[in-house]
Amino acid sequence: MPPTQLHFDRPNLSRRRFLQGTAAVLSGLALSGCGWTLADVRTTVKTAADVLYIYTWAGYTDRDLLDRFTAETGIRAIADVFSSNEEMLAKLQAGAGGAYSIIYPSDYMVIKMRDRNLLTELDRSKIVGLDRLYDRFQNPEYDPGDRYSVPLSWGTTGLIYNSKVLDPPPKDWDYLWENQEALYKRMTLLNDPRETIGAVLRMLGYSYNTKDPKAIERAYEKLLELKPAIASFDSDAWRSRIITGDLTVAMCYSSDANEVIPENEDLRYVLPKSGSSLWMDTLVIPASAPNPDAAYAWINFMLQPEVAAEICQRLSFATPNEAAFELLPSEVQNNVTLFPPNPALQNSESLIPLGENVTSIYDRYWTRLTSG
Amino acid sequence: MSVSTKPPLSPNSPPDSGKTPLGQQWLGPVALLGPAGLWLVVLLVLPTLVIFEISLVPDIVPGMKVIPSGLDNYLLAFDPLYIKVIFRSLFFALGTTALCLLLGFPVAYWIAILAPSRWRNLLLMGFVLPLWTSSLLRAYAWVTILRPTGVLNTVLGSIGLPGLELIDRPSAVLIGMSYDFLPYMVLILYSSLEKLDRQLLEASADLGATPLETFWKITVPQTAPGIAAGSLLVFISSLGDFVDPELLGGTSSGTVARLIYNQFLGQSPNWGFGSALSTILILVVSVSIALLLKYGDRDTQP
Repeated sequence: MPPTQLHFDRPNLSRRRFLQGTAAVLSGLALSGCGWTLADVRTTVKTAADVLYIYTWAGYTDRDLLDRFTAETGIRAIADVFSSNEEMLAKLQAGAGGAYSIIYPSDYMVIKMRDRNLLTELDRSKIVGLDRLYDRFQNPEYDPGDRYSVPLSWGTTGLIYNSKVLDPPPKDWDYLWENQEALYKRMTLLNDPRETIGAVLRMLGYSYNTKDPKAIERAYEKLLELKPAIASFDSDAWRSRIITGDLTVAMCYSSDANEVIPENEDLRYVLPKSGSSLWMDTLVIPASAPNPDAAYAWINFMLQPEVAAEICQRLSFATPNEAAFELLPSEVQNNVTLFPPNPALQNSESLIPLGENVTSIYDRYWTRLTSG
Repeated sequence: MSVSTKPPLSPNSPPDSGKTPLGQQWLGPVALLGPAGLWLVVLLVLPTLVIFEISLVPDIVPGMKVIPSGLDNYLLAFDPLYIKVIFRSLFFALGTTALCLLLGFPVAYWIAILAPSRWRNLLLMGFVLPLWTSSLLRAYAWVTILRPTGVLNTVLGSIGLPGLELIDRPSAVLIGMSYDFLPYMVLILYSSLEKLDRQLLEASADLGATPLETFWKITVPQTAPGIAAGSLLVFISSLGDFVDPELLGGTSSGTVARLIYNQFLGQSPNWGFGSALSTILILVVSVSIALLLKYGDRDTQP
């Protein structure tokens, strides 16, 4: 079933917006491999050589970008969107992703997909411009040597706050605990176990990727202390509520903060001092890609400094491309939401998959937290 | 799922013309029931059986062979933590049903009995109108209304009343869900009330019953099947809702629908456990339908 074409008239959609995609995915959860292997992944369609199906985040492509690609290469690009890495993986595993030749997973999902043999090892001779990336992105922890993925956009997790209300401004995660009464029901945390428990772990001096059940339990108990004051665990609806002033502080992704801040001048984004999570969204070619040549064309297109700089401004995400960064106007280069100062970055780490056993510990504490 | 008050037709009642050939006798029912039957079997019965089969495989992940081996996933569901989540879902669903019935009955009664008949279709249309927008948008609309500086508190403030903190609490979930499902209740109650025999109302009044007595002894028993059907529809729909709890319910809003979602699309997926939870939910719904069919019918027997 070829994906339907989407138009991107509204690029300011949330990056990780799960509710909208839910209905679509649940209906796609049909079990395809009826020889009775649960969810067999394979190429389900033959696509023409001049058509490229892309599976990406909402807000990561727009009409202009797709048209420009077609003008340069003669390949028609069609983009579908997902709202979470897990949703994307589930669709792929349910056999409904066979049409895509380019997918945009995040760092930890690259590891998961690679371990499940869902990715094509990239042929470096077909890629031009990888050396234009900053050195630190050329050998990332999640994919040493960028063998399976090409970094496209990165960001951090932090706090967006109303600077008129919060004075002095928050500097670190523990601000939320210290000002619990003042922030009562005026703060939200992300609806994501790894991110939210991870931030507390970091605050307590552990790693985001700790496997120690005792540490996870301590973080859970710390969150339980804060829970009465939290309005909700929310990755999306905080946007309108912080713009109107109903929330004072919200935990969010830097890319989302960057989109929201222009709508209310009082809002600021801070990367907490004790560190936070770093995320990277990448380009990969799935093993089932029907049109790998067009996929390489897309990767090379996105690596062009002019293209990367243009979408960095228009779609508001931080580029890992040094050549593109140098093309940006200085007010974008100095945007601390997109490009936070180095010291805060040094304390931050990427989430890495922890294996089923440990992840289910996180999940269990999360269910206790959100159900108690 | 219709709740009928009529005794079922005897299957042995002789056909009008005993001379029709056997083929023709079957052609009609097959042509009428075939498409819907096929649809039900292929898209409802078979997938449900597949869900049940997967629920019997412990720790299954995509790519594994489906070899049913036991009830481990079901035992997992009896963890006190998950029982709590299931009970919260039941609380939201029952609360929504009660609210919809309380709010919907007067409206349906007014439209069916009291309103001028030429307005009826327009009024009903007005009630169904919100269903034309997505339930996600309606939930966001309630966020706008209920947030601390939202529409509700602005209105309350302007007439000198203190503001209400409703959002991020179970009350907001009940408000949002009742709003979502009220149209179904009103539509079903309306069709039931429309058929109300008004001569009985007049007779009851003539014989000296107070309006309240007439209501409880004439109106309610006659519309019981409608009440049962409407409540059932609202109950089942709200049991599966997770948009409203998620957006309006604050920090303790985990529902069984969200729990199932997490088993498939969360960070530690467990398709077997998710399927077991789904099967349990299907069972709960089936049992409540069976009970309502049985007792809903009995109450209306003369």
